[in-house]
Amino acid sequence: MENLVSLGIRSIFIDNMIFAYFLGMCSYLAVSKTVKTSMGLGLAVIFVLTLTVPINYLVYTYFLKEGALTWLSADLAGLDLTFIQLMVFIAVIASFVQLTEMAVEKISPALYASLGIFLPLIAVNCSILGGALFMVQRNFSTLAEATVYGFSSGIGWLLAVVLFAAIRERLKYSNVPKPLKGLGLAFIIVGLMSFAFQTFLGIAL
Amino acid sequence: MKGLRSFLDRIKPTFQEGGNLSMLHSTFDAIETLLFVPGHSAPAKGAHIRDGIDLKRTMITVIVAMMPVLIWGLFNVGYQHYLSLGVNEGFATMNNMLFGLSKSLPIIAVSYGAGLGCEFLFAQFRKHPVNEGFLVTGMLIPLCMPPDVPLWMVALATIFAVIIGKEAFGGTGMNPLNPALLARAFIFFAYPGSMTGENVWIADKPDGYSGATSLSNLSAAESVPVDGNWLNVSGWSVGDMFLGFEPGSLGETSVLMCLIGGVILFATGVGNWKIMVATFVGGLGGGLILNGLVAMGIGADNAFMAVPAYYHLLMGGFAFGAIYMATDPVSAAQTERGKWIYGIMIGLVCIVIRVFNGAYPEGMMLAILIMNVSAPLIDYYQVQSNIKRRLARAK
Repeated sequence: MENLVSLGIRSIFIDNMIFAYFLGMCSYLAVSKTVKTSMGLGLAVIFVLTLTVPINYLVYTYFLKEGALTWLSADLAGLDLTFIQLMVFIAVIASFVQLTEMAVEKISPALYASLGIFLPLIAVNCSILGGALFMVQRNFSTLAEATVYGFSSGIGWLLAVVLFAAIRERLKYSNVPKPLKGLGLAFIIVGLMSFAFQTFLGIAL
Repeated sequence: MKGLRSFLDRIKPTFQEGGNLSMLHSTFDAIETLLFVPGHSAPAKGAHIRDGIDLKRTMITVIVAMMPVLIWGLFNVGYQHYLSLGVNEGFATMNNMLFGLSKSLPIIAVSYGAGLGCEFLFAQFRKHPVNEGFLVTGMLIPLCMPPDVPLWMVALATIFAVIIGKEAFGGTGMNPLNPALLARAFIFFAYPGSMTGENVWIADKPDGYSGATSLSNLSAAESVPVDGNWLNVSGWSVGDMFLGFEPGSLGETSVLMCLIGGVILFATGVGNWKIMVATFVGGLGGGLILNGLVAMGIGADNAFMAVPAYYHLLMGGFAFGAIYMATDPVSAAQTERGKWIYGIMIGLVCIVIRVFNGAYPEGMMLAILIMNVSAPLIDYYQVQSNIKRRLARAK
């Protein structure tokens, strides 16, 4: 239990998808113009990450990993399917993004319109695929760990995007030098924010 | 402010022609101008502008509020230096002051030179007037530097803070992060050797003399004193830490001087008292929670968790940060309730970083930076909840 709590806090603050790995930057920069839409996309990312990481964990452990198929028959003990893991992960992610998209369109058409192309594009959001690949790399040993990891990585992404959107909303009326308007300044803000998030680097849990 | 005005009015005749001190007329005039020009005022009732306080007067008030801290810093840099050589110069001689000046004046000059240089360049190219905003930043930067910091680092950090931290966002009043803290954080992460450890807090100290601060002593402590005698662990008594007889950054050592500055900021209304109080409350609360955990048996061998909560407010830059850095009206939360949340979170986060992050025994700088980043979001939800409440009332 303690282990899970520490993993959760780690993935929100210390191994933050944005400030530590700079993953998922395209939608991060594009959808962060207002707090409202960024909140919507953040929730979608949490939903997709929370579901896809554990599902991919099961797929990886029982189908793809070397020797994973021994439960089927002993002859398959030597089989190593990890070379198709990228394709399988993407397929799982894409189908869940489709599901989210349909749900959002049904529940909140306004949000659906404001997210636009970036909702289906979660499918190729690096932080989602990154979640699945980190899950493999870090050798999570239980399904609970993978679930907690997916969920709290999503929260970390949401936190990063709403903080960023609030700053950008406040800067709407400031007299920014012309060459820096828009994305240029956005990159500087992300840099300064990850400066502040260095705070959590090295906290022992 | 009103009291000051009537005091000046009362003594004004003394300085005018025929008065006892008429030769000091221009001095009086200068002080009056400094404090009260532009001086439009309005009747006490109704919606009028009561006081023509502008950016210049705000900034000068903050500078005045920083004077006690600066003067103590100058003294203490020399005092600690001579103490490390085995001489206690005390208050009687000027040597402490002179040595302090020789160490600190270059830092102040470089900070103002580099920063104002950037400001003027930007003002020239972007065709806006030069703002007074840097007056305060340029003084805060030396105050949060260790006395031995290399000057080129100060220059580099100042330029970084002014250009990336402020001018890129459109100049004074637009920066999301406090520029002075950004300058300090820049050196802290880029050249940690000049900003952390035992060797930077006393100027020109001989090798072998320990220059550890109470924070690093506590962070390194391996056990909790059984008899409750914290002096051996922290290395400095409560009195010394309160008055400021300890090594540290130029301006952070004396809590007493910070409080005097805080009173000036509070009395003139320039610094927000809610943020100051909330920060101290947050720090004390965080310390008490940790003490409570220790009493329950969690982390009982961690000296940093077991130390009495008020120690946290006296050690390191807590008071300095709470009074001068957190209250920066630009980077702090703007809504009234948001200010309480902002301040309390600074205190709490600071304690969390100090205690749980072994790499950074001083948490104040990073706590304020992280809350600077969060302040717009706090404001956003505060405003949204106000809107919701008023809509509900209108129905």
